[in-house]
Order: sequence, then C-alpha cells, then structure tokens
Amino acid sequence: MSSDIALGIDLGTSYSCVAVASGGPPQVIPNEWGERTHASVVSFLEDGHVLVGNDAKKNIITNAENTVYSAKRLIGRFYFSDEVKKAQAVMPYGIVEGPNNAVRIKVREKVMAVPEISALVLKEMKAVAETHLGHPVTKAVVTCPAYFNDNQRQATKDAGRIAGLEVLRIINEPTAAALAYGFGKDISQKICVYDLGGGTFDVSILEIGKDVFEVLSTAGDTYLGGDDFDDRIMAWLAEDFLKKHGLDLRQNKYCLQMLKEAGERAKIEVGRDGVAEIMVPGICQSPEGQVIDLTQRLGADQFNKMVMDLVQRTFKVCDEALQSARLTAADVDAVILVGGPTRLPIVRNSVRHYFQKEPLTDVDPDEVVALGAAIQGAALLNRSAAEYGQASYLLDVTPLTLRVGTVGGFSERIIDKNTPIPIEKSKTFTTSRDGQDRVKIRVYQGEDSKVEGCELLGEFEFTGFRVSYRGEVQIQVTFEIDSNGIVNVSATDLETGQRTSSTISLSSGLSEQDLKKAVDDNAGMELSSRQPPGVVGR
Amino acid sequence: MDAQFLIEVETLATVLDQLDYYGVLKLAPGAGVADVKAAYYRESRLYHPDRYAAVDNAAVRDMIGRVYRRINEAYTVLRDDQKRVRYQADVTGPDRLKKLRFTEAEESAVQADQKRKLEEQMGQTPNGRKFYASALIEINAQRWEAAERALKGALMYEAGNARFKEALEMVRAELEKTRAKGDYRIK
Repeated sequence: MSSDIALGIDLGTSYSCVAVASGGPPQVIPNEWGERTHASVVSFLEDGHVLVGNDAKKNIITNAENTVYSAKRLIGRFYFSDEVKKAQAVMPYGIVEGPNNAVRIKVREKVMAVPEISALVLKEMKAVAETHLGHPVTKAVVTCPAYFNDNQRQATKDAGRIAGLEVLRIINEPTAAALAYGFGKDISQKICVYDLGGGTFDVSILEIGKDVFEVLSTAGDTYLGGDDFDDRIMAWLAEDFLKKHGLDLRQNKYCLQMLKEAGERAKIEVGRDGVAEIMVPGICQSPEGQVIDLTQRLGADQFNKMVMDLVQRTFKVCDEALQSARLTAADVDAVILVGGPTRLPIVRNSVRHYFQKEPLTDVDPDEVVALGAAIQGAALLNRSAAEYGQASYLLDVTPLTLRVGTVGGFSERIIDKNTPIPIEKSKTFTTSRDGQDRVKIRVYQGEDSKVEGCELLGEFEFTGFRVSYRGEVQIQVTFEIDSNGIVNVSATDLETGQRTSSTISLSSGLSEQDLKKAVDDNAGMELSSRQPPGVVGR
Repeated sequence: MDAQFLIEVETLATVLDQLDYYGVLKLAPGAGVADVKAAYYRESRLYHPDRYAAVDNAAVRDMIGRVYRRINEAYTVLRDDQKRVRYQADVTGPDRLKKLRFTEAEESAVQADQKRKLEEQMGQTPNGRKFYASALIEINAQRWEAAERALKGALMYEAGNARFKEALEMVRAELEKTRAKGDYRIK
C-alpha cells in the first residue's frame, strides 16, 4: 500500500510544508522535533554533506556563500531577467549563466540548475514524511503560485522528478487553500484567497458549488512578498547605521545577512507585539577595530508607514482579479488569508477594510496550502473515484494569456488568461517562401501586445512537412494547456494530416539529457542526517 | 468504471466533432448563462480528468481528456455574452457544419465586430466624428437647426452611417415640431 500515498507539498519561497491525507482528514507531517514548516534553504557543508531546512537556515550567516535560499525566486527564469539581476545583488551565493540563457547556481565549485536546489528541498520533505510514516513515498502533488508561467511550472515539475518524486500534479497555491477550506463542507459560496507569501503574491476568486471548485479569475505579482517587507526594514536599519557610524552595512555580505535576519525578526516581532527591539551584537568592526552593535527600536506606526505602499499594491491586484471575475468586493462571501505575512496586523486590517469583511481565522496561513495539496493527492490516487465520483473537482484557469510572436515585435493572442484548463486551441500557419522546409514560432505568455513585455516560453521549430510553393503548405499548430498549467505545442500538416516533428530550440528549462544527469547527480547527494534544533552543522 | 460509462465516453468521443457546443454540454440550443454554468458543473463532475487519474488504461484517460478539453472550450465560448451571440448565429446559419467550433476566425470576427460597433458610435472618419460630436452638443442644447447642419456635414463624409441618419431623422422631427406651431413659413 505504500505506493498508494501521495504527499501534498507546499514548496514555498522561504518555508515549505508537507502534508498527507490517507483515509481521514489531511494532516501536516512534522519532523522529528515537531517542526511543521521547514525553511526552503539548502546549505552545502565542507564535508560534502547537504543540510536542508531550519538547520540550514542557521547557516545563512555562518556559511553564507554556500547556503542557497529563496531559490524559488529564480526558478524557471532567464538569466537576463530583472529578477535574476536583483537576486545577484543581494544573494551571497553565486548565480551564474548556464547554456541557453539559463540560470545556474554555483556553490563550492559545483554548478547546479535551480530545479536541482528545489529538488533538495523536496527531497527533505519526502524524508520528513517517510520518517514519520515509516515507509517510502514516491508520489506527490506540488504547489506553485497561481501566477507562475509555464517555464516556472515546468521547472517545478523537473525539481520533483530530480528529487525522485512522481509529481501527480502541479496545483496553484490559492486553489489548494480553497480546497482545504471548502472540502467536505458542502457550501455554495464565492470566496477570495489572498495569498501573500515570502516572495510572491496571488489572488484567486473562486466559486464553490458544493463539490465543484471553479476558479473564476486569478491575478498576481511574482515580485511581491514578505521578503520585500524585510528589505524595507533592512534599508531603514542600514541607512540609520550609516548616519550614526558612517559605515554601510550593505557593503559586506556577512553584515548583510545579519541585517536580513534582524529585519525578518523585527517584522515578526512588530506584527506580534506591536513593537520590535532590534539588537544585533557585534554586527561589524569600525576601521579602528572597535566592535559595534546594532540596536534599534521599531514601532508599529513606523513599520506600517514603511510598508503601506506594498500593501496597497496587493489591492491593485485584487481589483484586477475581481474585475476579471466580474464581481465587486461585496460579492465575496469569505476571504481566506494564506502565507506568513498575512499574520501582520496591517495586512489583516487592510484586507478587512477592502472587503468589508472579517477574514477567516480558522485557517492556518502556513499550512493550508499543503493540506489542500494533500487532499488533491489523495483524490488523484483514488481508484474508486471513477466509479463512485470524487469528493471534489478543481476547475482551474490559466493565469496568463498565451501568445505567439508575429512581425515587428508584436504578438497575437492564442488563449486568453482566465480560460479554464485543460484547453486546446489551434492556429494555422503558412510558409512565406518557396521551398520553405521549416517553420519557426515563438511562444510567449503575458498581457502585453508587444513581445518584450511578455515572458518567452520557447521557440518551436517544425519540420517534416511537404515542401511546396509559398502559402501552399498549411500547418496547423495546436496549443494545449494541461491541468498543470503547462503548455504543449504540436503541429500537423493540414492537407496530409501528417504530424510534423517539432523541436524546442530556445527554452529556459532543462533538456531531457540534463534532467537525466541531474537525477543521477542528485541521487548521489547525501542529505546530512538531520540534527536536533540547536545544533548548528558546519 | 462500469462498461456502460465506457460506451458512453467512447460514443461521445467519436461524435465530438459533429456536436455543437450546446450538444457537448448536453443543453438545448440557445440555453442561457445560468443553464450553461449548471451544465458545465454537471459535465465536470462526470468527465473531470482528475476523477479518472488513477485509471490504468491510458487510452481511456486520453479519450476523457479530449472530451473534457472540448467541454472547457464549449464553456469558454458559451459563458461569454458576445461570443455566445456570434456562435448562436453561426450554428443556426447555413454553414453550421463548418462552424461547430469557435475558431480563431470567429474570435477575430467578434473582436472586429466590437471595434466596428465602437467606431459606429462615433463615426469611422475623422471628419465624420468631428461633425457628429458637434451635432451631439447642439442636440443637447436643443439648437436643432445647428444640429441639422452638423449632421448633414457628418453624412457628407459617411453617407451610409445608420446612426448619423437616425440622429438626423430625430432632429428633423424636432424641427418639424417647432415649425408646425406658427404657419407662416416661406415656401
């Protein structure tokens, strides 16, 4: 029976969580020390061991260059993207360029793709579950932000495969949260999921009709999360320190990490107690050799002023989602908060004000996504579902408009955003030259009619059709978005009905060959035997 | 999975290309939005691929996937007011068999339609629009003669514009009313 269990894994930017539902309500699996969420941090130790989770997080300061965190911000992105440039400036670990404009992470002279790092986190989640359950697990449902594009979803799926998990499905985090909320409740409501995570922000509007969960619309910002709140505090602390002591803490990567940790702690404290006392002893040395401490006091009002614009930005996204769903804030019956930063009073109060409704409090914002994923995992493995019907059905949508590039840097819409998935759509292309034997198309996702405002998914090249005069060969290209939100492209010669072969010549993802190699490499990577909290691995 | 269901799916998958979207959702032709949604939920409960994810037979899963993608396609078109009107006209028209699926051609037709309607509201030529805009101001101020002049000007540039003609009719009727009072017009 061991193979008949699927985990639900919330692979977060800063924290991950694993849950399982087998013959009962879904439950979060804690590790041996009772920790229910685990830092998405991977630390490479000197002896070749790899440390993942909350222990690894302690190494962010002491082993900064060899400790990778917030890898989710980089997953499925091109090396030239803004987000990667931004990460390079602040991350202590090496971010280098790989083949095909891909992003690679360089730690201890070892160059790895981003999915390989995420795979280590997934592997840790798998290990936590296996220790708890007492048997091996090979299947999982992994979540990703609703606003993730095809590249990011594909990379997340690759990460699962590298970790030795069969990823049954990639589901959207807000959808998973809604499932965990509405599952088995037999309700008919319109709900809004406000998901402010470590690095991303998502809003989904859903209509729950008993056992059917229909996503009406989804919107998001992949550049907005709790990390940005930390950054504001960090910047304030650093500016203040510069004024007082004439030293810029941001110049030193070691100081920067201590600053980052202080910022995160201050945010949590100020949210919980209304005030934060910041104290970092010996954060740096003056040129005279004097050790300087960082002490500061952050009040709630001051903090709120610092982050107000970030909070306001989330409501612009809410406006957009409501508009796409053709609803107003008053039509929403319930608001679910997901993600750690939603614990902050400023966020809660603003949400209450926007929706004129008390957000639900009986949902744990850190665990709800993993619970939803576990429910979905159990449903996908349920053999009797085919006969008796399943307990719930997720009707999800694609978050971004699928486009193909045309002449002059413009693009043409193929599948609109918020279209239910799985879906397919065809478009006919013709040859433009006599004797043309290949057709290339570039596929994009985004809301801009100009291609530079959209994300490139890849370039597809079709060959093996009839060679004839220009305009005589018609190639029907079918774009399919599957239940994972992943795009598949295929083409047929319209006259002969023959399938043409297609190759992807430009893609941020791993090739099949790279992937196989990564799977092998990763299998050899030993996760360090996990230590009880308090013991710092070196 | 019972044999009867298998036969049902197989039949549906075979005739899929001969069905219109109402047929796919098992609806009466011309059904409204509420019915479309109810049908979509009903068919989703029946054919959602997640329900059959654990079925071993890949061919069956593919078949159900194909059916469900079409259900989604049908729902996308029929839930949208503009697309539904267009589709309704297409499938009741002479080219019914060619128009069972809402393809890119229809999609762009709907878009062009929308654009045309918008243009019609204000005119298609710059000068036509200018005259029409000034006519609207005059109508609001109830200066009927000036409005008539402006609309005649607009119609010089866009002789076929129904909206302009309609406005001119209205203005002339108003003019008639004011003139009818005293009967001292010079003929």
